[in-house]
Amino acid sequence: MLYALMGLGLSLITGVLNIPNFAHGALFAVGAYFLFSAIHAVGNFWLALVLAPVGVALLGLVIEYAGIRPLYAAGHDYQLLFTFGLSLILGEGIIVVWGPIGFSQLPPSILRGGLDLGFIFYPKYRLFVMVMAGLLVLATWLFLEKTRYGAIMRAGIENKEMVSLLGIDVHRLFTAAFALGAYLAGIAGALTAPIRGLSPSMGVDMLGIAFVVVALGGLGNLLGAIAAGLIIGVAQAVVALYWTEASVAVIFAVMAAILLVRPQGLFGIR
Amino acid sequence: MSDLNRRDVLKLGAIGAAGAVAGLGFPAVIRAQAKEVVMLGIWPFTGAFSDVGPILDRGMKMALEERGMKILGRPIKYITRDSATQAGASTRRVEEAVDGEGAKFVIGPWSSGVALAVSEVAKRKKVLHYFSGGTEDISGARCHRYSFQWAASPYTAAKTVVDTFMKANPRAKRWHLLVADYAFGWSVEKYIKEVGKTHGLEFVGADRHPLGEREFSNYVTKAAGNKPDVVAMINFGLDAVTAAREIFNFGLTPKLPLIMSWSSGVEELVQLTPEIRENIWVGSNFYYTADTPVAKEFVKSYQAKFGGPPGYAPSAAYGMTRMLLHGFDRAKSVEVQDVVKGLEGIEVNDLVGRMRVDAKTHQTLRPFFFMRCKPKSAMKNPMDFADIIATGDTPLPAQYAACKDIGSF
Repeated sequence: MLYALMGLGLSLITGVLNIPNFAHGALFAVGAYFLFSAIHAVGNFWLALVLAPVGVALLGLVIEYAGIRPLYAAGHDYQLLFTFGLSLILGEGIIVVWGPIGFSQLPPSILRGGLDLGFIFYPKYRLFVMVMAGLLVLATWLFLEKTRYGAIMRAGIENKEMVSLLGIDVHRLFTAAFALGAYLAGIAGALTAPIRGLSPSMGVDMLGIAFVVVALGGLGNLLGAIAAGLIIGVAQAVVALYWTEASVAVIFAVMAAILLVRPQGLFGIR
Repeated sequence: MSDLNRRDVLKLGAIGAAGAVAGLGFPAVIRAQAKEVVMLGIWPFTGAFSDVGPILDRGMKMALEERGMKILGRPIKYITRDSATQAGASTRRVEEAVDGEGAKFVIGPWSSGVALAVSEVAKRKKVLHYFSGGTEDISGARCHRYSFQWAASPYTAAKTVVDTFMKANPRAKRWHLLVADYAFGWSVEKYIKEVGKTHGLEFVGADRHPLGEREFSNYVTKAAGNKPDVVAMINFGLDAVTAAREIFNFGLTPKLPLIMSWSSGVEELVQLTPEIRENIWVGSNFYYTADTPVAKEFVKSYQAKFGGPPGYAPSAAYGMTRMLLHGFDRAKSVEVQDVVKGLEGIEVNDLVGRMRVDAKTHQTLRPFFFMRCKPKSAMKNPMDFADIIATGDTPLPAQYAACKDIGSF
């Protein structure tokens, strides 16, 4: 579900702004580090889990407004280079602020340890993450499908010029889409921190998978991102049970196999 | 003067002018290069292990600065290149540093697989190469006169870890192994299994994971399913940290003991909370409470400079550089082949105690450390991670030695 969450945010930004956001992995890492600092500041995991992704969304808002927006006129390549440069700046920023050596963040005490599910012994915190990420994906989906602003965002993905001609401030739409994408990356990072810990390179590891999810689902297709995230996650889990050495390679093998049959991705039309 | 004609005067003038230019101008660089001893640190500043690149650099610098950046009266020029933990990038950059900057002495990188590639460059370019890592091939099947191994032999490590652990836990016979799938993991796994036979161990599982694995839940599920008495990991850096965290999250530790067979010590342990470290046993080539005069002095000066104790990475870089400089001292020469001969058979009391370089294999024979992590209540300060409970220096038995003939220059 975390892959779906990451893929959904990246797909939203790719769809609306029409740029592959290379800083998406770095925003994921920033979410984890914000959670760590917020826990130390407020002393409460749950409050920190609310605050950390909001902080990343605000950061996303600033990035779009101050960094990407002035480059709309300059063209696509400049925006792409900007997000790539931004990913390096954020990565180095993490090292400057929190140091090069990673650290661990324990789950809240109520979610420590595991549950015997009969067929498998599974950590409580991972079960919580599954449910939480599922709810977030569902909430985002409902927002995009059932609200007026969600409809505008979807329309923005389909045809920005038309949306603009209808009198909608397309720049505000871009900012909102980037902030929402950053929020999803941030909360994915925050939820991941107690599982994988924190390290400056954690975003790089996740960025590749997020791009696989977006490509597999179809560029800018939100439903495709969710489905691809689930397919990748399940494929990785199943292969790891029987052939652990191939658990990373399978992500790319699944992508290659599906793209050979459907070059536009599972739900892509272009 | 009467014998000189106009042509001779012109010739002498030209030679004199050339000499003056050589004394004043750019040929001075050439003269300086001839006098300088160029040492290359090939460290991972990007890619896997990029977190330890800067601290490896620190360790090497500290050893050189102790000597005032000079050896046998000659200035040392220390240069670095990024290994990126990629064999292709490393070999290309080492060749460039050798050809372009005149590097004759190479230390690093940090990954065994990459080091084997760099070792081939050292052999071809006839430059001295020092490495510290878990592959046995540098001083084994792919040994040659130009490469040296500073880390303990994987056999020494396995023997220290298994013997000491079994002495403390004689009933823990069912072992599950989690192994990094590259040269270092294979070497240590082989000897843990060999030494394990002498204790009647049953290896109920041995899963291999790729370098840079970040999703260990499935490996841990499999380990739990095998119902082992102990989980032993043969991996390193962030792989080891991520796996240890996951094993804790699944509730295996602290109920089951977890062995980190070949750890970087401080750099890994600092990334785990005291709760996760409980019942973790750690093998390492260095721990900062090592009771030797050189280690005490090094740790003191490292802490004063950087505010925390050194782990295996800076200590290895420091230790390798010190050994290399001992080789110069013994050879009384800065020529590569003389320094190689100077290192062969050298015996010193250095960073980890008594250290001797086996002339036949270029393996450094030295102690390996085994620690047990402290519970939170016993920690005197946040960096007081573990107690050294044993050191072992059993060398590789002759029947396992793969370096049959180290060859000539």
